[in-house]
Parts: sequence; structure tokens; C-alpha cells
Amino acid sequence: MNSETLNTLDTYSKNKYKYGFVTEIDNDKPQKGLNEDTIKFISLKKNEPEWMLEWRLKAFSKWKKMKDPKWSNLSFPKIDYQDIYYYSAPKGFDKKPKDLSEVDPKLIETYNKLGIPLEEQKVLAGVAVDVVFDSVSVATTYKGELEKLGIIFCSIGEAIQKHADLIKKYLGSVIPPGDHSFSALNSAVFTDGSFVYIPEGVKCPMELSTYFRINAENTGQFERTLIIADKGSYVSYLEGCTAPKRDDNQLHAANVELIALEDAEIKYSTVQNWYPGDEDGKGGIYNFVTKRGLCAGKNSKISWTQVETGSAITWKYPSCILKGDNSIGEFYSVAITNNFQQADTGTKMTHIGKNTKSKIISKGISLGKSQNTYRGEVSFLRKAEKARNYTQCDSLLVGNQCGAHTVPYIESKNNTAVIEHEASTSKINEDQLYYCRQRGLSHEEAVSLIVNGFCKQVLQELPMEFAVEAQKLVSISLEGSVG
Amino acid sequence: MNIQDNYQKNKKNIFFSENNDVKSHREKLIDIFENDKFDKKNNESIKNINLKNFLDFKYRYLAPEETSLISNNNDNNYSIVSVNGQCSSFKDDKIEITKILEEDYNDFSENNTIEKNEHFVNLNSLFLNCGFKIVIKKNNNIKIKISNIVTDDDLTIFQKNNFICEEGSSLNLIEEYENKNNSTSNILNVIKLEKNSQLNHFLIQDNSPSHNLIVTSHSSCKKDSTYTQKVYNFSEGYVRNFHFSELIEINSEVDLQGIFFLKDNNTSNNKTFVKHLAENCKSNQVYKGILNDRSKATYFSNTHVDQVAQKTEGYQLSKGILLSDNASFFSKPELKIYADDVKCSHGSTIGPIDENAIFYLRSRGMSKIAATKILISSFINEELNSISDDQMAEIIQKKLVRYLSKVK
Amino acid sequence: MFLEIKDLSVKIENKNILKSLNLNINKGEVHAIMGPNGSGKSTLANVLAGKEDYEILNGKINFKDNDLFDLNIEERAQEGMFLAFQYPVEIPGVNITPFLHSAINSKRKRMNEDEIDNLSFAKLLKSRASDLGINIDMLKRSVNTGFSGGEKKRYEILQMSILNPDLAILDETDSGLDIDALKIVTDGVNKLKTKNNSFLIITHYQKLLDYIKPDYVHVMVNGSIVKSGGSEIAAEIEKDGFQKFQ
Ligand SMILES: Nc1ncnc2c1ncn2[C@@H]1O[C@H](COP(=O)(O)OP(=O)(O)O)[C@@H](O)[C@H]1O
Ligand SMILES: [Mg+2]
Repeated sequence: MNSETLNTLDTYSKNKYKYGFVTEIDNDKPQKGLNEDTIKFISLKKNEPEWMLEWRLKAFSKWKKMKDPKWSNLSFPKIDYQDIYYYSAPKGFDKKPKDLSEVDPKLIETYNKLGIPLEEQKVLAGVAVDVVFDSVSVATTYKGELEKLGIIFCSIGEAIQKHADLIKKYLGSVIPPGDHSFSALNSAVFTDGSFVYIPEGVKCPMELSTYFRINAENTGQFERTLIIADKGSYVSYLEGCTAPKRDDNQLHAANVELIALEDAEIKYSTVQNWYPGDEDGKGGIYNFVTKRGLCAGKNSKISWTQVETGSAITWKYPSCILKGDNSIGEFYSVAITNNFQQADTGTKMTHIGKNTKSKIISKGISLGKSQNTYRGEVSFLRKAEKARNYTQCDSLLVGNQCGAHTVPYIESKNNTAVIEHEASTSKINEDQLYYCRQRGLSHEEAVSLIVNGFCKQVLQELPMEFAVEAQKLVSISLEGSVG
Repeated sequence: MNIQDNYQKNKKNIFFSENNDVKSHREKLIDIFENDKFDKKNNESIKNINLKNFLDFKYRYLAPEETSLISNNNDNNYSIVSVNGQCSSFKDDKIEITKILEEDYNDFSENNTIEKNEHFVNLNSLFLNCGFKIVIKKNNNIKIKISNIVTDDDLTIFQKNNFICEEGSSLNLIEEYENKNNSTSNILNVIKLEKNSQLNHFLIQDNSPSHNLIVTSHSSCKKDSTYTQKVYNFSEGYVRNFHFSELIEINSEVDLQGIFFLKDNNTSNNKTFVKHLAENCKSNQVYKGILNDRSKATYFSNTHVDQVAQKTEGYQLSKGILLSDNASFFSKPELKIYADDVKCSHGSTIGPIDENAIFYLRSRGMSKIAATKILISSFINEELNSISDDQMAEIIQKKLVRYLSKVK
Repeated sequence: MFLEIKDLSVKIENKNILKSLNLNINKGEVHAIMGPNGSGKSTLANVLAGKEDYEILNGKINFKDNDLFDLNIEERAQEGMFLAFQYPVEIPGVNITPFLHSAINSKRKRMNEDEIDNLSFAKLLKSRASDLGINIDMLKRSVNTGFSGGEKKRYEILQMSILNPDLAILDETDSGLDIDALKIVTDGVNKLKTKNNSFLIITHYQKLLDYIKPDYVHVMVNGSIVKSGGSEIAAEIEKDGFQKFQ
């Protein structure tokens, strides 16, 4: 970390939760609660074709029969699904603005505060941003350039109208609506999210990116993202989010589906720093995310990288189904919990095809009164000849009121496959702290430095734009609980 | 026959049925059985087994005709032949053996915190029909060998034993299970180590395919005590080894190790669980398995470190070798840590025998099968070499050779 | 007085290690401490640097007009105390360059000096590294991680030369170095030496003292200094070992 980062760190720590402000924009939303009418309202608002509504209703009828998953290491009050708004769109955005000047200036201001000014971002980072504000996609930049290559990058709503064939073929193909209650719920009520299609042989020349924010009070956020990488293509996708400070717990249940065909590669990175609740455990986001990638074709590759520092509760297992022979799945994760946060996160690598490989690197850091669990499953099915997995999960404890837990499930049904798993849990190394302080660094700086070093293996997997922000986030998350 | 009927019909035959505390405890257990959905997805401890065989069974117990034999070979060496889970009483200045008592039953059912959802422990408590208690008196250093014999087909043995090592005592305990008949033994060992005591516990399991063996142990260690358990499972029938340990006072240690050798259609379920409840304790959980043919195994390990258990060192290792494309192994090495000054780790590998090593040995002129056998032996070399008792080492070696002779 | 250690007794885990130790160092002086293994040399260095595991039974230490025990580890460092560790710890994932950059700036901050910016720091680091025969590629690595014994020692000296301490304590920096490396390292020390800084050099071989000329040599045995004098003592030890001091 350079001194600039340390400086920024300083300003950050003074700001507490910097992103905790609320933008005042009128919301156009239906009544609270979940029923067929809510779903019809959403579908109508989004101008959806009949088949989509039917798809949603089917998912809804499945959801009604389902129970929420059993929570092993999480505890929180029961979710009242009837006390949530399922649709909220900033007024006047039923029709998309043609360019940024048509966007509500307040919204632009919000993004400026977040440090992602759209105008500059276009030029500076070369990132095409599909901004989701609450649930409606407001601006998409760089579209032209991508279009030339045949790349489709738009809101899922737009894709439903314009690319029905792809949606019909792939939506729900990796995460079936009936998979579990949150996937059913999301399938019934998702309002927006991103859609990406990379045509055969195309290497997407820039990082595609979305910033999510939850804004309106009591609004559940149900994104749906679908990324398809056709044969021989490549795409790197970034997802980052910050949420305004709120006292009421807010539910988030996103679904992300990735499909990599033969020789294709998808890299999906997330930095998640949603409002985690305050020092007393009040407020914060409930983050129940289903992310799953299918390596459908031979030699395909899907790589998940995540830095999870936010949310009151995180329940998230980005997974890979390694179906194509020689396909590769990777999972790199940093999860930091502080105060009363609870995280139960990890991955699932299902080896189906021959010669499939997976790698899991997970770094958990627990502080305060938080509980941090790594839960991961690696399984080799009968046909997964010569498959390989390497897993390493390390936990660091800072303070003696938190918990760090490691729950791996390891199964092999093939006698040519090899699984290797290593894990460790320890407190921060005293000798390292002493060494850093002997060189003049404060205790807090030393902890931040060592923890960042501990996470390095994961952070270096992030694209440059995110790596710096992620380092800052790691440091911010440690704030207040050391010394 | 279902649990409720079995119990009502055979009450007379079951220990402590007249005692009111026991009665009410058992009613609760019956409730649990009636209400549990035996959902394998949410209760992993019943993964890979046909529960029906164990829940829907014909209860039958026969008291042995001859009293079980105890011989004191020389001053510090005892041999016990326990027939159908019974052992006659015995007392000298070093040890005392009695039948299991009501108070032991109640003590366990009240204080048992870690095996609450263990159906097999509950079955054992419900149908208890035999068992004994051995107390090793203060500062004695002795060796006991117990052969567990089941006499008839169709017997259902529900046995609870208590082992108590008094302060400063040291016990070498070897238990043999070698049964050929079509019966089921469900054994629960409750083990208590007082201050500064030591128990080296060996379990040699070698039953025929028709015999089911369920062994559960619950050990608790006080200050400066050490419990070491080594399980050698060569059984051709179903074996379930579930071993729980609690380190309740400072400077205590527990070491739970096991090796198992499976073939044909056999299944083995294994679990070790160590709960660190005091400072400065150490634990070790190491299981290794070799699986041939269509065999299946599970191994759950768990290190739980309580908030007060600072300076804990906990280690886990599980290793599985799959010799055939139809064998499967599931492992779940878990860490649950609520204290910060700890060093805990686990490692786990599953895979075939190292191809490169086979190639190397073959290039030295060895046949593939010979190479395989050598590599299997070396896989468990450490465990075999650590057996200090020559007689036992020889017994284990013979069983290994027998297993290897079937490896093709 | 620059550094004054008076009657220092230190205990760790029920073991008395330093026993009524006295030592005075003035500005501009180079002191060497020699003593057999286990005599407490590293303990003294760590107590000076402020390592927290020790129990101070008795004594006072004055450093630049401060009661040393009033300062924590990093404050001592920022005041100009530097310890080149006998066994530098590996810190995986923490890159050398930003690590040292933060270190130098925290010292400058305490001294009310301007922070040094990225570019000038990179220049400084590069030039000092090449003086010490350190490959530029090494500066991309993590602190001490995967370094050979000699590399670790060189990197300690590099840090010393960047941080420019008032009091540098070198704990067996010579051990593990071959003769060429020893020359480079001692050159580095000699270059840094001025009228205003002091060195405390811990070693148990005389070799190092052929390259760095000490003003005083102290013999430490069993937790106290049993003899002090000039460099002739080093020669005595070289000839007869520590035997006669015990
Ligand atoms: N952390 C510690 N715990 C217990 N004993 C220690 C510790 N550190 C040092 N010692 C003991 O203190 C004595 C002095 O050690 P040290 O200062 O390292 O000697 P030297 O550097 O002169 O070789 C030795 O006997 C050593 O074993
Ligand atoms: Mg030393």
C-alpha cells in the first residue's frame, strides 16, 4: 500500500460509512407485499411479453410451496415477505434517457459522491457502466463500441424484449427457479440487472461493470444477471455496490447466471461493501445471493473473485458446474466481518467432466462480535476422470469475541481424481506486528498492512480498477476494532 | 418393528426400566424418533446408511450363560472376555469392575451436550441391555485387554461402558471386536480422565460382513490428562466410529486417530469431534482410509474452540485413497472457533495411489500390484510404526496382509 | 547522555535473563556487545525496541531525554531507534516498497517533516539498494518472504539506511553473511555513521569488528556486562573464547 492509500484510508476512517447518504428521488412503486398482482404489476411496468409473465408466475407458485433454506451459522429475525416493496423505479425513467444529460442530476450527484462520475469514467477507466439505480437501468455507456463487436450489454429488461431467443434459452438454465426459495423468489420478482452476450470468438476489449445501489426504504432488491460467453470468447465483468445508510434491514436476493461455452472464459469480480449495520448491530443489508456458473463447453473457464466487507448478513456461494471436459473453475474470496456482521460464504465446485480443474482460495477475517464462516463443497462425480481440486482457506481472528468457522464438504466418487484441501485459523501474528511497529508504523497501520498482505492472493486477482478500492475497503473494515 | 413397539414389548429386558428418571428420559427419546424425519440432507451423520435397518429391527437379547472371564495375567495385566456386553464384577487394589449403574445412565443423559442428535446414541440409551464400569484407581499403571464377543445370530446388543481413570493413573486399553454372526452391537463408551491421568485406547475392529458394529465414545479430560485413541478398522461389515471428546480443564490433550480398510460393498461412517473448553489444550484428529471395490466412507471431523479456550492447538487431517472407480469418500473437516489466540488447521486429500510412485517402483522391476501394495502400506506407515506393543503390531500387520491379498 | 541503561533486570516466563545491566552510549559512538549464545543479547535489543513479552523487574532506560518505558514500539522507532533483527520475520503479501514508504513517512510525521512522495521515495530506495548490492527485482517482493538468510540481513541494512536512525542496534547482522556480503553491509554501516548517530552492534564473532571499528567493546555473560574496554577485548575473545569471562 502506498502512502496515498494510507492517506485515503485516513479520510475514510474519519468518514465512518461514507456512502451512507440517501438520495431523495420520488419512487413509483406498487403496494407492499408479494402476490400475483405484484408480479403482474412488475411485468406490466417493464413492458414484458406474455411468456415472461408466465415464467414469473410459475416461479412464484414454486416459491409459495418452499421454505427458506436452513441457516446453520446465521441468525436473524424471520423475513416478512409481505412487508417489502418489490418494485421501485425513479419517476420518469419508464423510458430510458438517451444520454446522460437526461438523467436526474441528483442521481449523477449520488454517483459523484460514490466516486464514480459517469462522464469521467467513460474517458478514464474505459469501463462501460450499466448503472442500476434501485431497480431500473438508467444509463448505459460505451454501447456503440461494444455493438460493433456484436457484444450485447444491456439491462435484462431490455434483453427480454430484444433478445427473447437468448433469454428463453438461457434464463434459469443454470439456476432453475425451483432450486431453492431465494432463486424462486428472484425469478418471480426480479426487476432489473444486466445481460451480457459475447459472440463467438470475441474478446471483450474492456471490463464490463455495474454498480448497484439500494435506495428506497423497504425496497428489496432483486437483480438478475445473465452472462453468456459464446465459443472462444472472453469477458471480464465487475460488480460493485454501496448502499445508503438505513436503519431498517433490507433484503437483497440477486441471481447471477454465467454460461461459458467451448473455449470461452468469464471472469466475474465483486466488491461488496453494502451497509453492514452500525456498531450495535442495528440495520444493514441482508444479502442472499445465488451465483452460479456453468462451464458448458470443453476448455471453458469461469473465475469468481469477491471481496465481501459489507452487509449485516451475507449468504453467498458463487459456484461452478464443470461440465465440459478440461474446464476450469476458480474462486477467490476475501470476507471481512466486523461488529455484528454475519457471513456465511464460500463456493461449490462440481466436477462432472474429465480433466476438470478447480482452485479455491478463501481468506476470512473476523473482528468485533462478528461470525465468519467459510462453507465450501467440492465434489468429483463418477465421470470426472483426472479431475483436480486445490483448496486453501485461511482465517484470521482479530479480537476474542468473534468466531471463525470453516466447513468444507469434500467428496470424491472417482478414483483418478485428486482433491487437496488445506485450512488454517489463527490470530494475527505478533512477530509481524512487532516488526512493522519497530519500523515506525502504528498498531492500526500495521494490522491493516498485514491483513492486506494476508488477502493479497485474492486481491491481485481483481482488475486494477477494483484492486485499489478493495485494499481501501479492507482497511476501512478493520477500523475501530484494533488497538 | 418400530421403536415404540420394540421398546414397549421388551421393557422388562431393558436396563433401569423401573427408574422414573430413566423412564421420562426414554419417553423423550421416543418422541424424538417419532418426530424426526430422518432428513439425510440436514443430518449428515446418517449419510450413506440404510437407516431403516437400524430403526426397524427385531430386538433380541440373551444374557450369557457363563459369566464373563476376567483374568489377571500378572500384576498389571488384565484380560477380560466380555460376552454379550457383560462382565462379572471384580475388585482388587488397582481396579474395580461393576455392572453399569443407574446413576451412570442418568449422569450421561443429563450431561451429554454434544451428541444430542445422534440417533445411535439415543437408541443405545433407549434399549440399553448390558455394560460395565471399570475404575482405575489412583496412581496405578495397568493394561487391560477386552475381547467383545457376541454369542448368537440376531442379537441386538446395546451396551454402555464407563471407564474412569482416577488421578495420576495410566491405562493401556485394547479392545477387540471380532464377531462372525449376524448381529448388531451398539456400544457407547463413556470415558473420564481425572487429573494427570493417561489413557491409551486401541480399538481393533474385524467383524464379518453380517455383523454391524456401532461404537460411540464420549471422553472428557481434566487437567494435565491425555486421552489417545487409535482405531483400526478391518471389518467386512458395517462399522460406525463416532468419537467425541471434551477438554474440560487446562493442559489436557486428546488424540483421535483411525485407519480403515474397506472393500466389496462395505460402508464405514466415521466422526471425531473435539470441544476445547479450557486454555492451553491440544487436540489431534487424524483418519486415513483405503477404499476398494464399491465401498463407501464418510469422515467428519470437527474442532470446536470455546471462547475461553485460548492458546488452543488443534490439528486435523483426513486422507483417503480410492483404489477402484466405484468407491467413494466424503469428508468434512470442520473448524468452529470462538477464541482468538489459537492455532488450528486441517488438511484433507482424496485421490488415487500416486501414479508417479507406481511408475517409479515398476521401473525398478516391481509388478504393478506389488507396487500398489507397497504404497498402501507406506500410506499408513506412520500409524503402524507408532504401535509400541509388539503383539498388537503383529496382529495389525496380519490383518493388513489379509486385506492386501484381496487387492487386485 | 544519549542512551543510558541503569540497573536493568528483565524476566520472561519465570526466567531472569538480564541482571542489573548497565550501559551508556553517547552520540557518535559505536559500541559492540559480544557474548556467548543465550547470554541475553537479543533480549537486550528487544527490550530497547519495546517488545511487549518481557517483564521489566527493575531499572531505567533513558533515550534522547525520554524515559524509554513511556514510549511504545512505534514511538521509539519514530524517535530514531532502529533494530536490525537477528531473525527478521516474513510478512507474506506485504510489498517491500510501500511498506518502507509508510515507515519513513510515519517517522517524518512525528518529526514534523513533510512526507516524501512516491517518486522521490522510489528514487531514494533504488539508489540505496544498488549501494547495498540489492537487485531491484527484490524490491517487488514481500517483506522478507522467501529471502535467503543473507538477503534478509541486507534488506535490514537497506531499511536502516533509508530510515537513517539515531541509534541503530544490529543484532548479529553478520551471521549468515559470506565475506563479500559482510563487506557490503559493513560499508553501508560505515557510510551512515556520523557524529550525531550511534551504533550498538551485537555479535559473537570478532570478524565484524574488523570492518566496523567500535569505540567500546562489552562482554556480556549470563545477563550482565562483565567487562568493558576497547577493541583489544575483541582480540582477547577471538583468542581464548568467552571461557575466562564466565
Ligand atoms: N520468549 C522466550 N521465552 C523463554 N525464554 C526465552 C525467550 N526468549 C529468550 N529466552 C531465553 O533467554 C535467554 C537469552 O536469550 P537471547 O537474548 O536470545 O540470547 P542471545 O541473543 O544472547 O543468544 C536464553 O536462555 C533463551 O532461551
Ligand atoms: Mg541473539
